[in-house]
Amino acid sequence: MIKTIKLAFLGLISMAFVGSAYADLTFVSWGGAYTASQQKAYVDTWSKGSGVTVENYNGGLGEIKAQVEANNVTWDVVDVLPDQAITGCDEGLFLKVDQSHFINDMVVKPVSECISPQIFWSYVAFYDPAAFPGKKPKTIKDFFDVKKFPGKRGIHTWANALIEMALVADGVKPSKVYDVMSSDGGIDRAFKKLDTIKDHVVFWSAGSKPLELVSSGEVVMSLAYNGRIGAAILQEGKSFNYIWDGQVLEQEYLVVVKGTKNEAEAREFVKHASTAESLALQAKYIPYGPMRSSSIDIIKKGEPFFNTGVDVLPHMPNTPKRLRRSVIADPFWWADNGAEVSERFGVWKGN
Amino acid sequence: MSSETISGPILTSDGIPLKVSLRKAEKRNKIRAFLLVLPLLAFILITFIIPIGDMLSRSVDDRYINTVFPKTFEVFKKWDKQDLPPEEVYETMFFEINAAKGYKIGKSSTRMNYSKSGWKSLIKKSQRKFKRIKEGPYKEQMIEIDKRWGDPLYWKALGEMVDPTTMGYYLNAVDLKYDSNKEIIAQPENRRIYNHTWIKTFKVSLLVTLFTLMLGYPIAYLLATLPLKYSNLLMICVLLPFWTSLLVRTVAWMIILQQNGVFNNLMVIAGLIADENRWKLMYNETGTIIVMTQILLPFMVLPLYSVMKTISPSYMKAALNLGASPLHAFWKVYMPNSLPGISAGGLLVFIIAIGYFITPELVGGKDGQMIGNWIAYHLKTTLNWGLCAALGSILLAVMLVFYWVYNKIIGVENIKLG
Repeated sequence: MIKTIKLAFLGLISMAFVGSAYADLTFVSWGGAYTASQQKAYVDTWSKGSGVTVENYNGGLGEIKAQVEANNVTWDVVDVLPDQAITGCDEGLFLKVDQSHFINDMVVKPVSECISPQIFWSYVAFYDPAAFPGKKPKTIKDFFDVKKFPGKRGIHTWANALIEMALVADGVKPSKVYDVMSSDGGIDRAFKKLDTIKDHVVFWSAGSKPLELVSSGEVVMSLAYNGRIGAAILQEGKSFNYIWDGQVLEQEYLVVVKGTKNEAEAREFVKHASTAESLALQAKYIPYGPMRSSSIDIIKKGEPFFNTGVDVLPHMPNTPKRLRRSVIADPFWWADNGAEVSERFGVWKGN
Repeated sequence: MSSETISGPILTSDGIPLKVSLRKAEKRNKIRAFLLVLPLLAFILITFIIPIGDMLSRSVDDRYINTVFPKTFEVFKKWDKQDLPPEEVYETMFFEINAAKGYKIGKSSTRMNYSKSGWKSLIKKSQRKFKRIKEGPYKEQMIEIDKRWGDPLYWKALGEMVDPTTMGYYLNAVDLKYDSNKEIIAQPENRRIYNHTWIKTFKVSLLVTLFTLMLGYPIAYLLATLPLKYSNLLMICVLLPFWTSLLVRTVAWMIILQQNGVFNNLMVIAGLIADENRWKLMYNETGTIIVMTQILLPFMVLPLYSVMKTISPSYMKAALNLGASPLHAFWKVYMPNSLPGISAGGLLVFIIAIGYFITPELVGGKDGQMIGNWIAYHLKTTLNWGLCAALGSILLAVMLVFYWVYNKIIGVENIKLG
């Protein structure tokens, strides 16, 4: 009895999260220009089955866990970050999918058996060239050097990527960052480096904020999601410069939620959404980097590929040259240490 | 009651004792009354009592992991906690990891990771590589697969999970933890975040309550005493922001208060502050307090107004006629009469403020985050719902304590919404 009531209650919660149930396939993503690009690249090109309803969420597994526990799954396909993909797959929130059609075409190894590839995006530093009339910052080291380049820096309110960037700025090779982070004193070293900019920092938590901070002169440079900067340059004609050096690449995946009422259709949909063509098509609308090597070839051949008729590759985080000085975020490290480092980061911010 | 003093049963016209007949009628009435409140009762039960009960039980529940490693924990209890556990513990661990079907092990490793970061990947890797181990002894082979199996810290962290209930989440919520012998010790200094955040949460909530009272009291007074045509206009001014989206108001404050924002620009143009010494009013605790004060102001003004509306103007006139100074008359006559409104508004604002998280998330920046932000973080990112439940339960308990203190000092009967 108690159990049924509990389930009913969890059902209520999940309903509160979702609003109402749909008969269509429900695809949940992050909203904004990113979801718009997904809409054009593979929702509009999806002809099988019934329609696809696109909804937005703010990340995290809270809603999905509530739906699965209450056995009332209304989200069929969700766009997730890799650490969520790992945790969700481990905890049985997602279904394992057929990976044979892309497994040999990936830029990096897929993090779990539940995922279908989407894009690379990155945390990257940028600035308005007008703020630096003389010498311009070129490396992540410059971002952390307030003597050479005085002025405020915009950084996000959570620890991911900041730890990695601090270490690269402190002289660690990008390929060795996670070795240092796993060694004794590695995290201390990162926090020590972060201390050097602490008094010059403005925090942001919404992705649109850093652009505004830099445009308004509130900060002289900021970290941001590369796609946001790209969209501002390509679509709004802003003049921003990237500092690709020391960027931290994150991956984005699609998963099918366990207990979905449209399982067969959902599986077909993620397959369709992760073909080389679909992923390439997405880059027409947003400068994130596809995770399949063959998609990049399609884009290269198709340049100028962006919908406004300009080259899109200069705005992509995962060109071979940029990858040499980039860190690819390790979701396994963060799945292990995320909570601990976040608490430390909270202490660091507050003091 | 009085019928009991008379000896011998009194009978009704159809021969049934009056007492019985009355009881019957009363019972029927009671059932009818109960049926009337039943929907509400069911509603409260489903949306209020059960969720809270569920939260309380989640905050101490540790049964799941005990169903995955029952034997390991049994032999683990016999270990003297010196150096590394004996072969027996390794052996049961090996078999129970192998035996755990499907998602069980993933869920357990998430739980284990809460008490020692690293368990998650250790279990994942081991699960894959355990296939290589064909026969015992297991200890050396497991350490060979991953040297963390030879790290006593990992084993000792298991100590807090061996019972089906745990206080670990509550300890975590106040910056304490169990050591390997299940003694309570403080968290390492660089992870002590919650006590600090608790204090900040109460400080911000109290300040916001105080500021809304200081700002809201005169507004409510004007609303209650001005002629209708002015007070209606003023009421719209109070309600309009109340009807505006929370996010819109928060973002508007960002534009006004940031260092290159409207307010600082005006101050610099007016020559009141130097360009390089602009005030830091946003993305910190100050910003959180300012924005929350504005957002919660209507919750103070409205109860105050509805109470003040009932205070007859003749009280003040009488006090003044009897020779009290205006200040004295206000303090001795008007203020005590408006106290129920202050209480209601104060409690309302404080309760809302203490669990606030959207505004602190957006404008809190470096030191304006409150406990709600940590609950949201663990709810969504780490999936540590046990810790969320512990934090939530503490919040609830603190609220009840505040309510109790308030009742002792002022009295609940003094809360009035009009």
